[in-house]
Amino acid sequence: MFFRLKPSAGQPLYLQLMEQIRHAIENGALQDGAQLPGIRTLAEELLVSPNTVAKAYSELEHAGVLELRHGSGAFVSVSRRARALTDRVRAAEKRVSNLIEELRAEGLRDEEICRLFEAGLVQQSEAVRK
Amino acid sequence: MTNAPVIETNGLGKSYGKTNAVRDLDLTVGPDRITAFLGLNGAGKSTTIRMLLGMVKPSGGSGAVLGKSIGDPAAGLDVRRQVAYVSEDKRLYAYMTVEQMIRFTSSFYLDWRADVVKTLLKQYDLPPGQKIRSLSKGMRTKVALLLAFARRPELLILDEPSEGLDPVGIEDLLQALVAQCAEGTTVFFSSHQIAEVERVADQVCILHHGRLVLDASVDDIRQSYRQIDIVFPSLPAELQVQFQLAGVENIRTRGHQMNVFASRNADAVVERARDLHASSIEVTPVGLRDIFLQKVKEN
Amino acid sequence: MLWYKSWLETRSRFMISLLGSVALCSFYVYHWDKEAMPYTKPEYYYYGLHGGHSLLCVLWVLTVTLLTMGGLLRERAAGTAPFTLALPVSRMRLMATRVSVGVLQAMALVIFPWSAMFLIGGLTGKTHSMYQAFFHIVLLAGGGIVFFGVAFLISSLVEGEYTAPIVSFGILLVVGVVLGNGSLRGYSPWDFIAGADYFDRTTGLLIGPIPWMHIVVSILLGALFVAISAKAIQTRDF
Repeated sequence: MFFRLKPSAGQPLYLQLMEQIRHAIENGALQDGAQLPGIRTLAEELLVSPNTVAKAYSELEHAGVLELRHGSGAFVSVSRRARALTDRVRAAEKRVSNLIEELRAEGLRDEEICRLFEAGLVQQSEAVRK
Repeated sequence: MTNAPVIETNGLGKSYGKTNAVRDLDLTVGPDRITAFLGLNGAGKSTTIRMLLGMVKPSGGSGAVLGKSIGDPAAGLDVRRQVAYVSEDKRLYAYMTVEQMIRFTSSFYLDWRADVVKTLLKQYDLPPGQKIRSLSKGMRTKVALLLAFARRPELLILDEPSEGLDPVGIEDLLQALVAQCAEGTTVFFSSHQIAEVERVADQVCILHHGRLVLDASVDDIRQSYRQIDIVFPSLPAELQVQFQLAGVENIRTRGHQMNVFASRNADAVVERARDLHASSIEVTPVGLRDIFLQKVKEN
Repeated sequence: MLWYKSWLETRSRFMISLLGSVALCSFYVYHWDKEAMPYTKPEYYYYGLHGGHSLLCVLWVLTVTLLTMGGLLRERAAGTAPFTLALPVSRMRLMATRVSVGVLQAMALVIFPWSAMFLIGGLTGKTHSMYQAFFHIVLLAGGGIVFFGVAFLISSLVEGEYTAPIVSFGILLVVGVVLGNGSLRGYSPWDFIAGADYFDRTTGLLIGPIPWMHIVVSILLGALFVAISAKAIQTRDF
């Protein structure tokens, strides 16, 4: 990924860099767990003060976007995504159990509920394929 | 790692006869940062640097570099061991070859790095066996810079370092400054090249007629300095007075147009313009060049 | 490495001065001796050596003055003063190095040419005793220190790359003229180093004990001038 900072843009350079790193993660230019260039390397490449890069990395670490490992460098946070994933699964799990309770209360048997879910998933994937 | 200032002056001044080269200067340069020193020719930048290094005796005030008073010659020796300096002229001994200059200079410093010398000689494409007097100005400049960058000092002071360099040389220079800062050296340099300063500096100090007229972080400047262009269908009464708000540095009017230059508080200006029924309000960031010109035209 | 710098700075000037002095003085003695007939008295040869010595005195003052060209003031004109002053060395140490190198070079510029004259004299004619040679050498080397001091002081007061030696020559010339006549004759350093006061016309030799007091005075004066230079450089703004 190539970052381009604009010194005259009226926005502090470290903020510009943070935005561009976030953008790179979002559009896949930076994968989860990928290593970013070292502070010195990136500073020399962009010809900006190392303090700018250090501040951007530090703020992103605060936000949970990056992981700064002492001695190895800056990495795109995997656990953030993984945690987000498990959060979603857990939330979904709750909604599914709520729905199952509701269906049971309406008198449906477990095998019927199971068949309904399976049929629904098959239908969904067929619709996607179309 | 303390936050003690690397350079600190208190009312520092130097006068030559009736002329005040430097007046009442209260300068503070923090550690591990890149600080730029801007000013017109003759603003007093070189004189200030020379006072810091003990080459010129101040007429008044005091200063300290790396915690040691600049008025103490014995302490000055210690300071110079930890400071690398590249002067404006960058002149070196004409009768020595590049290699001899390197050998000579390296003998004085414990923080000398021979591996960096090898790399830089190649990168700058310098002929080791050639006498300094037969080198072009650009090459001489590069040798002078090499002698500073081959060290790992606490403080690096450069006076107009990009003078005499072509664009590639300037890129190499900025890269070396960034590298020095990354390795823990405080960088303090004076320059005319505002574009370069805007890119690489953390802090900027503007000197005008020997006085400090601005000392701010470049990020703060980026965030708060704004130009607001306003158009009024009908000009309100006492326009200038209405816009004398905190942070407004300069107001220009031309017909129905008004340009406000604000160091901060742009939102208040916009609000006032709206209150006065402006038909168009445009807020744009201000580059360092415009801020510099504004400050030096103020006098 | 400051000695190395001083050496590189003065190397060509020194070598040219040294070779030039050796060549000129040797040629003088050689030519003088060549004019002699087989029956010529030894005093004639002694006059040759004494004449060679006078020539050497003039050459010595010229070359030593040229060699004192340097120092921070000259570096300021050349633009290298900021570099030198940024080095972690005191101004005193810079000056001490320059003085030491200068004095050593000045001594070499007496000893080598005199040795050459003595050798040539021995080969082509007759030489006087080692004592006489020593007398002459000590007069120039010791008595000449005051000249060195003046030139050094001027190089620490007068700005410009080449102005200092010109001013020094001027001063030394004026001193020579003013003190060269009448009652002040005894104080002329030019006459002293040439040994004019001790030269006996009948024997062609220097007479009398070596005037150590005069030599000490000359050395002290030289040291005084160097001390004044030190103060001047210490307080100057660069």
